[in-house]
Amino acid sequence: MSVNENDVLLKVEHLCMYFGPKKAVNDVSFDIHRGEVFGLVGESGCGKTTTGRTIIKLYNATSGNVYFKGRRIVAGTKSYKDEIKKLRAKKKQSKDQNEIAECNERIAELKKEIELAKHDQKNCDKDYRKDMAAAGTPVRKGERLVTKIQMIYQDPVASLDPRMTVEEIIAEGLKIQGIKDKKYIREQVIEMLETVGLVREHATRYPHEFSGGQRQRIGIARSIIMKPEMIIADEPISALDVSIRAQVINLLNDLRESMGLTIMFIAHDLSVVKYFSDRIGVMYFGDMVELADSDELFKHPLHPYTRSLLSAIPLPDPEMEKNRVRIRYNPKVDHEYTTEVPEFREVCPGHFVRCTMKEYEKYLQQVKE
Amino acid sequence: MAEKKLEVKDLTISFKTTNGKVQAVRDVSFDLYSGETLAIVGESGSGKSVTSRAIMGILAGNAIKEGGKILYGDKDLMKTPEDEFHKVRGDKIAMVFQDPLSSLNPIMRIGKQLTEAMLLKNKASRKQSRKDMNTMFKALGERMRGAGVQDADKSLAEFKKFVMTQCRIETAYSAAYAAAQEADAITDNMILYLKNKSGSSALQDASTLIAAAKRTKNHFVVDSDYDVLVNNLNRLKATLKTEIKKVDFTESIAVLNNISAIVKKAVAKERLNTFTLGYYLTYCDKQIPDMEIGQLNAMTRQRLETEFMNEFLRKTELAAKHSMEITDAARRDAIAVLTELLPVVDNDDPKKAEVIEATKKMKAKVAICIDPLEVDKDSLTYTFPTSMDYAIDLYFGGAKKNAKEERRYNRSYAKHEAIIARGKTPDWEVIPASYVDLDAARRDIADTVKELIAHMQAQLDANANPDFAARANEIIDFLKEKAQDSVNKITRGAAREKAIKLMESVGIDDPRRRFKQYPFEFSGGMRQRIVIAIALTANPDILICDEPTTALDVTIQAQILELINKLKKDRDLSVIFITHDLGVVANMADRVAVMYAGKIVEYGTASDIFYNPAHPYTWALLSSVPDLETKEKLESIPGTPPNMIYPPKGDAFAARNKYALKIDFEEQPPMFKISDTHYAATWLLHPNAPHIDPPKVITERIQRMHHQHETEGGENK
Repeated sequence: MSVNENDVLLKVEHLCMYFGPKKAVNDVSFDIHRGEVFGLVGESGCGKTTTGRTIIKLYNATSGNVYFKGRRIVAGTKSYKDEIKKLRAKKKQSKDQNEIAECNERIAELKKEIELAKHDQKNCDKDYRKDMAAAGTPVRKGERLVTKIQMIYQDPVASLDPRMTVEEIIAEGLKIQGIKDKKYIREQVIEMLETVGLVREHATRYPHEFSGGQRQRIGIARSIIMKPEMIIADEPISALDVSIRAQVINLLNDLRESMGLTIMFIAHDLSVVKYFSDRIGVMYFGDMVELADSDELFKHPLHPYTRSLLSAIPLPDPEMEKNRVRIRYNPKVDHEYTTEVPEFREVCPGHFVRCTMKEYEKYLQQVKE
Repeated sequence: MAEKKLEVKDLTISFKTTNGKVQAVRDVSFDLYSGETLAIVGESGSGKSVTSRAIMGILAGNAIKEGGKILYGDKDLMKTPEDEFHKVRGDKIAMVFQDPLSSLNPIMRIGKQLTEAMLLKNKASRKQSRKDMNTMFKALGERMRGAGVQDADKSLAEFKKFVMTQCRIETAYSAAYAAAQEADAITDNMILYLKNKSGSSALQDASTLIAAAKRTKNHFVVDSDYDVLVNNLNRLKATLKTEIKKVDFTESIAVLNNISAIVKKAVAKERLNTFTLGYYLTYCDKQIPDMEIGQLNAMTRQRLETEFMNEFLRKTELAAKHSMEITDAARRDAIAVLTELLPVVDNDDPKKAEVIEATKKMKAKVAICIDPLEVDKDSLTYTFPTSMDYAIDLYFGGAKKNAKEERRYNRSYAKHEAIIARGKTPDWEVIPASYVDLDAARRDIADTVKELIAHMQAQLDANANPDFAARANEIIDFLKEKAQDSVNKITRGAAREKAIKLMESVGIDDPRRRFKQYPFEFSGGMRQRIVIAIALTANPDILICDEPTTALDVTIQAQILELINKLKKDRDLSVIFITHDLGVVANMADRVAVMYAGKIVEYGTASDIFYNPAHPYTWALLSSVPDLETKEKLESIPGTPPNMIYPPKGDAFAARNKYALKIDFEEQPPMFKISDTHYAATWLLHPNAPHIDPPKVITERIQRMHHQHETEGGENK
């Protein structure tokens, strides 16, 4: 499927998600284009899942914005509030009238920003429905913009309610949206079951009657019944057996083609991510450290963490494995961040690395070679 | 070829469930050699974990051990009773589990979890050693008297007395010597730190050094220099503290050099022979004579040999000879009896009363075939009674059980039919009858007897040219070792030091601080390291790793795999590595066994499996994993593994196999030999089978790998 470079479906801007003092996601920005698969990799605890969950508003973002189809769906306000606090402190200490006036002006601006953010957060669905109605598309009363992004969870056992039948699980989203037509719901459920490779008899069964791969299929059916434009797949295969993994990946690939889905694929198994994704972002302890096309990333990894990650991939080749040298990454040794705060810079078109100016020059040199 | 560590033969295990008998492992056989890694690969439910649990003796309660042997040393782990098994489990065979979170106790400090087993086992092993020693003394005395040795009891008592003295000296001496070695290592480190101007690191180690150095006080380690050493130690901390501020460590280095000199001298000294010294101190002189260790060793040795040992050795030899004569006579007798009674058990329809009567006679005869002076326990003779009872119970109990199963099955089938006849569909299924294989059980009884006869005959042959001097030495060494073990008390402190060393060897930084932490303070990879360290506390021969990296991510996984490889090399471990990740297998394994539906379907070296796979299941596994070059659609394996309550008649994989032949559905394929190391159970290898190439994905990948090796090889040259 061709990916339109300019058609940005999801735009994440300086997204931060703090849990108390712990910075789970710290200033992460990236775009996802319509129709592409965007892979997000990193070791456990680096904030991949938190990023995904913040995007679909399972958490309230600390700061930063997420735009979906050009509309702001997530708007964190903490950065504005922090700035206001700073300005007020400055105002108190300052004697210069001009400076105080400047501060007041800025504070007013920021307050407006906060208002706007709150407004966007609150009204994005209403505005979306209004726009759709204006464009002549039929739109239901309870329809929300965020439901156009759906999530598939890691653990197919824990993510399905054991006391609901498969039909109830899959139809729950539609019911919440206010659809009351039982016949329509039933039809939809059966269609979805067939799309994911299950049969209509399965609709009346309970989750425990299914194997791991089938349960993951139910999870996928539940998410695609909402006719999403984007799916966030949070390690959908890491809890599955080898033989089942290929089935689920193939299914996601088929759905992507038939429904024109955009997928954000979160995983730590790099060979699968390489196989499945068009572009890959690498995260390390809350920071996005490198972002590039998947081929480019695997051919020319620049950031030392990416290199260490790539050198750790186990391959089904005993000869190679015996001679493998793993690159170790130690942020304290590999970077000199005391004098300069690293920034996200574009080294060559489409290839971004988080680096300092000095490293940036080094990487430019490397790319030229 | 390396030594065979573990041999699994025709292992068959089922589980009793409410829906019928699940056949988890069917006729699995493999060998494990010393120092190698055997990987067992397969989907979940293929029986790989069950196999490993059978080796550890931790099968679930509803498991039925249907047959087969797990031979470790000369024990059969399938028939070893629980109170003997705990000497093997953990001590000789250790296991690392999949989830490091659930295999550590969350409310116990790491240190306690590491030392717990050491301390607990220590008490039991001391008790056991004392018991073993006393039994041996008693037997030796008896045989000596039987051989006509005069004053046997007196010389044994003398021996025992000075051996106990030796133990006392040895304990103190070796502790001081080990402390000197430790202090030596720490001083070297500290000097290195100070030369690199890292005063704080040195200061951290200072207390450990002082503690270790103070433990070196012993007449044979640090004696006259001890006061100088203590003086230097007392100065050490003060100088370090003052010099840290100045960042100039000349004085501290000088102090450390003084300490180092003393400690190095102690370490370089000749090892003391405590055995001979023990004799000297008990019977010759209460005072330790003032001479060099070398001279002392020679002198005490000479005294011991002329005054006691030569005589004692001669007496022991006589006892060993006498004992062997008795035992061999008993063996000949037993062989005659066993051969005579063999037809009673080895026929098509054995009678229970007769068999039990015959077994009673056999057991009585076999029991006196055990040579009490034997150092290596001959387990086949020892386990004969239990093996016999087990086999008899299985056969006669099985006959009864089969009849009961038959009745139950008929009843339930009739009920099922009745419901159908009434025009309803029952919402339950008839649970199939699970029968005991009576033929195999009967053969098992006869085989146990036959095996013992062959074994005893072999022993008789081996005894044709006996070397009694070697045997006498063996017995004396055994007594010495057991005496030492019986007083070898591991204190909390010693256990802690040992645990800290282990933590260091599994790559945990700052083990002294980490020792006091709780499991939740560790990351996933660190926790798995702790689990590995716990598994290594007892110095096992075999380490079973049950998916140790499945719960971890790539970088941590690579670290843990490197660690296991390193430990394997350092300690000459044999590893059984269970996983479903073929990439991991390529990294770790020397040999690979691919399991499916409870059977091994392919078995070979790692390069056999990866460069020349033969079984369609192996093909399917290999092609369902994408590698970095894969672009085309993945070949998934359709369907799910078969329900093992109703194992398929033919090849279990046939239903999911697109290369299945007609015969695959009718008959189980035997193991075909491809090369000396490579076997596979698939009809495709039969000479009459059509030639089928592996899927294109795999052949292409293998070609690419070969190509890559060639180009890389060229570059390296």
